[in-house]
Amino acid sequence: MDPSKASKKRKAVTRDIDEEAGVFSGDELNPGDLDGALSDNASESSADEEDSNSEIELVDDFSDEDDEEDELDSDEIPSDNGGLTKDSELNDVNQSDSRDMASDEEQLNYRVEKDANGNARYIYDEINPDDNSDLSEVDENANTIGNIPLSFYDQYPHIGYDINGKKIMRPARGEALDALLDSIEIPKGFTGLTDPSTGKPLELNNDELELLRKVQMNEIPDEGYNPYEPMVEWFTSKQEIMPLSAAPEPKRRFVPSKHEAKRVMKIVKAIREGRILPYKPPSEQDEVDEDVIKYDLWADEAERPDHPMHVPAPKLPPPGYEESYHPPPEYLPDNKERKAWEATDPEDREREYLPSDFGSLRKVPGYENFVKEKFERCLDLYLAPRVRRSKLNIDPESLLPKLPSPEELKPFPTVCATVFRGHKGRVRTLAVDPSGIWLATGGDDGTVRVWELLSGRQLWSVKLSDEDPVNVVRWRPGREAVILAAAAGDDVFLAVPPIVDPELETTSMEVLDAGWGYAASRPAPSATEANKKSTPQWLRPSAPLADSGVCIVIRLRYVAKSISWHRRGDYFVTVCPGSSTPASQAISIHTLSKHLTQFPFRRRLKGGGPPQTAHFHPSKPILFVANQRTIRAYDLSRQLLVRIVQPGARWISSFDIHPTSSTSSGGDNLIVGSYDRRLLWHDLELSQRPYKTLRYHRKAIRSVKFHPSGRYPLFADASDDGSLQIFHGSVTGDMLSNASIVPLKVLKGHKISGELGVLDVDWHPKEAWCVSAGADGTCRLWM
Amino acid sequence: MAENQNPAATSSQDTQRQIRVQLTSKQEDIALPENTGPILVPTGLRRYALSTLVNNLLGNDKPIPFEFLINGSFLRTSIDEYLTTNGISAETTLEIEYVRALIPPLHIASFEHDDWVSSTDVLSATAPAGSASIVPGQERILSGSYDGLLRIWNMSSQIVATSPSATDGGHSASIKAAKFVSPSQIASAGLDRTVRLWKYAEEEDGFSGKLSPQLELYGHKSGIESLAVNASSNRMLSASSDHNVGFWSMKKSDAPAAPENLLPSAAVRNSKRRKLNSSVTVPQRGPLALLSSHTGPVSAAIFDAKDSTVGYSTSWDHSLRTWDLVTASLVDTRTTSHSLLSLEHLPDLHLLAAGTSARHITLIDPRASAATVSAMTLRDHTNAVVSLARDPHSPYGLISGSHDGTCRIWDIRSTKTDKDGVVGQSVYTISRKSLEEEGKGDSKRVGGEGVKVFSVSWDKTIGIVSAGEDKRIQINRGEGVLSSVSK
Repeated sequence: MDPSKASKKRKAVTRDIDEEAGVFSGDELNPGDLDGALSDNASESSADEEDSNSEIELVDDFSDEDDEEDELDSDEIPSDNGGLTKDSELNDVNQSDSRDMASDEEQLNYRVEKDANGNARYIYDEINPDDNSDLSEVDENANTIGNIPLSFYDQYPHIGYDINGKKIMRPARGEALDALLDSIEIPKGFTGLTDPSTGKPLELNNDELELLRKVQMNEIPDEGYNPYEPMVEWFTSKQEIMPLSAAPEPKRRFVPSKHEAKRVMKIVKAIREGRILPYKPPSEQDEVDEDVIKYDLWADEAERPDHPMHVPAPKLPPPGYEESYHPPPEYLPDNKERKAWEATDPEDREREYLPSDFGSLRKVPGYENFVKEKFERCLDLYLAPRVRRSKLNIDPESLLPKLPSPEELKPFPTVCATVFRGHKGRVRTLAVDPSGIWLATGGDDGTVRVWELLSGRQLWSVKLSDEDPVNVVRWRPGREAVILAAAAGDDVFLAVPPIVDPELETTSMEVLDAGWGYAASRPAPSATEANKKSTPQWLRPSAPLADSGVCIVIRLRYVAKSISWHRRGDYFVTVCPGSSTPASQAISIHTLSKHLTQFPFRRRLKGGGPPQTAHFHPSKPILFVANQRTIRAYDLSRQLLVRIVQPGARWISSFDIHPTSSTSSGGDNLIVGSYDRRLLWHDLELSQRPYKTLRYHRKAIRSVKFHPSGRYPLFADASDDGSLQIFHGSVTGDMLSNASIVPLKVLKGHKISGELGVLDVDWHPKEAWCVSAGADGTCRLWM
Repeated sequence: MAENQNPAATSSQDTQRQIRVQLTSKQEDIALPENTGPILVPTGLRRYALSTLVNNLLGNDKPIPFEFLINGSFLRTSIDEYLTTNGISAETTLEIEYVRALIPPLHIASFEHDDWVSSTDVLSATAPAGSASIVPGQERILSGSYDGLLRIWNMSSQIVATSPSATDGGHSASIKAAKFVSPSQIASAGLDRTVRLWKYAEEEDGFSGKLSPQLELYGHKSGIESLAVNASSNRMLSASSDHNVGFWSMKKSDAPAAPENLLPSAAVRNSKRRKLNSSVTVPQRGPLALLSSHTGPVSAAIFDAKDSTVGYSTSWDHSLRTWDLVTASLVDTRTTSHSLLSLEHLPDLHLLAAGTSARHITLIDPRASAATVSAMTLRDHTNAVVSLARDPHSPYGLISGSHDGTCRIWDIRSTKTDKDGVVGQSVYTISRKSLEEEGKGDSKRVGGEGVKVFSVSWDKTIGIVSAGEDKRIQINRGEGVLSSVSK
């Protein structure tokens, strides 16, 4: 049974009950009010009576009144089901009747009244028989002819008899009725009703009639409503090749799936409870299954001492991305890199292969170098190379020190300012006097000349020797006297050039002459002693020499090629490097104030041939003596060897000691020039080996010189290739920083004559000017 | 075709942009008439075209070359380029001052010597030592030579007088400086450490004269490099290699006695050499003061051009020092970065020009208020600048003699922009005639060998007189300049 229908019925029923129980009639009831009160009553009634009871009554009332009220009250659309429902409802009621009867028995369905006799008289309620009941009401008009065919009465005007025995007349036939009705003219839309508002007969027009018809036919009364729209086949039974569907989106497409949510929640729950681990660390790749057998070549290799006979097998690094057959694009070389790789020599290539992308493993071609590599491996094994080649992958640029620009290191000599021309033959030596006004030179023509430095005017000249060249000239340091020492032939000359004022000349002469008395007072060496030692004599020069300014001649008997004054001007050391010179007389120290010559060395310096040159330390009582290969420093006061410097040159030509070596803070710095083209900078604090080796000249370096003042950190060298080179070499006071050496300028101008270029170089004592003596017979001032 | 020509015509007008210029001159004789207003000229014009224009305006028969000054510097490019580089609108009126251009100095004469000529001076009506009594043609040129002799030349390259040799009271060593004090007095100094005053007397005919020693001044211990005389105050300044500046009186009576130890007789050397000492007895005097503050050889000392009580000196110790000569005290020191070898005062500009060993000329403002040491640098020389002289015609002019064998004329308004900023540019270069005569006029001597210029002086009448290592005095003269003066 349709529940909605049932509830409707019940509603109707309860209302009916109310009608009966209530005081007022149903017509006056406002349906809205009714509904509000309805529930209360229902509950009351349920409290009073049993459900079943009310149901019975309900059913009773139904049968009585339903037919009448249905059309009048109900605004519901009557449906065909209605009839059916009623019938089935009735059936239900009937079924439940027997059960109800029993309960009725229990209830008192009679009244006890007193009759006339006073006896109890039971008055029962009248029994209302059902349609189905046997005690059905007799239809008085019913035909009582029984079960005989009606055709028996065809010839009679009646068709049977009723219960009272009266003839039941044959009803009028259709044709007769229709004829009657047709005879009566009924206006269109005649209803037979009177319009209460007009009092005229109510007539219905076509629309209203149609409406009524539709109501009657249980159709939807709306006009235009078509209950038989053509069917749209959303889901067709026909199979289509391209099913196009305008079907509305099914719900499942946009409503979150509860099923899935459930499953997710299940997983979440499992994660929360820890049954599922959200991330499992990948297991070690190394622990591979054990059926793959591996051999570690170096497993049992022990550390072995480094030995040339043992070359350990090279440990190859694991392959990188670039070795992959399908490397990431950033490892792939671009055109430029590819060209650069192809341009480089196979020996110098950083990698032996170029990363290339094959896309997939099956596209990887055969290894083209296979045979070559095998061959080389075999060669390696066969030839068993025992040399470790350490490949240096260093950018050569980065090895170059960051040098300041020469522009920042100005001033330094750049151009030739003056040419001193006058010497015949080579100029072997030159020196700028301590005041910086004069230049002394000595040359192959045996003359010593003094020049005005700036203008190049020769001021003084003396011929010391007719055949022997002047090998070296050196001014005595200090301003208080002007003394020039020159070595020509076997002799050393001390001169006071007549270019100075009388006062200074007097002082200088006094300095030189002071020793005469000392020499005279000295006991004359005995003949044997003289023979043995052959002490050089300090003599007065010959008259022409004396006239031109020479004051003292020292007869060394061997050719001195180097003179170096002590800073205080009382001592100078001469070196006779000639191979014929006895070892004991090669180096001599001369004391000016005593006219005394001493030979500090008895034996030849070890290793490196005859001594070449010697210099006093600027501040300490140390004498540096160079032979061909080493420079030795001797402490003169303690008379012992202090240090051996090994420049590594084959033949030292000259060396110079940095002037700031005189300060206590700085260490000793030496520059050494050698005939094998090298200029070596030594930091004695650092090592006995050179700190820097400069090999810029094409030919032998003849002379090296530091700028004597501390103001300009310059040094220069002179070479046989006809050029001078000026360097910046600053020495810092602290031990931590090394000296910085910057090549500044190559000074060219001297002509090479007889394989010789520039023979000597000297600096102006104050300015950044230098002078050079050339084999072409000129000296040059560079500023 | 007509359409094509029109844009071409307009574009040519564009290139021929015009600018309004106002031409002025400070010199009366070449000034344009007062009523000459601004002239519209094409901006493409250069100096030559402008010069022609001015000559046309002046109506000169013989064109005078002019230089054009815009905002204090010479026009060296076209006006257009000048406007572009200086960012000046072409719509303004450009004030252009024109001056007579310097004529390239022409070689007039060379006087040959026996030895290097270290110094030179002139005696003329316009020279500082001269007097108006000197008639043109009677000018004298003094030269001091490395052979120790002073020579006086007339303008026809004849030696009028020669100083006596060392035996007769002359210099015993090279002369490094020589100056006319007056037409009858000469001062000289040299490597014999003496300053000598000579009396110069000339015969009536003007072809012979006599130099007789007047006074010997001792005090320096080393060679004297330069000498400055101030005739009005009878004072001399000498610069010596012994790091001192000597301040001397030219009057025998004023000067103190000579220091004994510096006299040549003090030498202990054997008399054989010294017997050459003069047979003539000359009064010997000492310095009024020795200004000793320099730490290197003093290269030049001069008097202030306007104030004879102020002296300046330069030295190899890189400094320029200002001296108060009244108290013989140091006033100021300006230290540069190079050795200074020569000095000249430009009084109108309050500048001192100093030649350096670093091949340039530094202009130094000696006034205490000057913020920077070097006001300007004049670069062109290729060797040490050892001599400087003022331009007698212009307060901006200067001539320098250098060891590179050239004299260069400078106008400090003639500048160019260098990487170091604005530097001066030489206007003309005078090379040695001797080099041209050898046929090597173009070749450069390394280190100016053989052609070094040691001294230069510039006189209005005689011209530029320079002396050098080529044993010559060379006289150059800009003809145009002089002709305009004589006009």
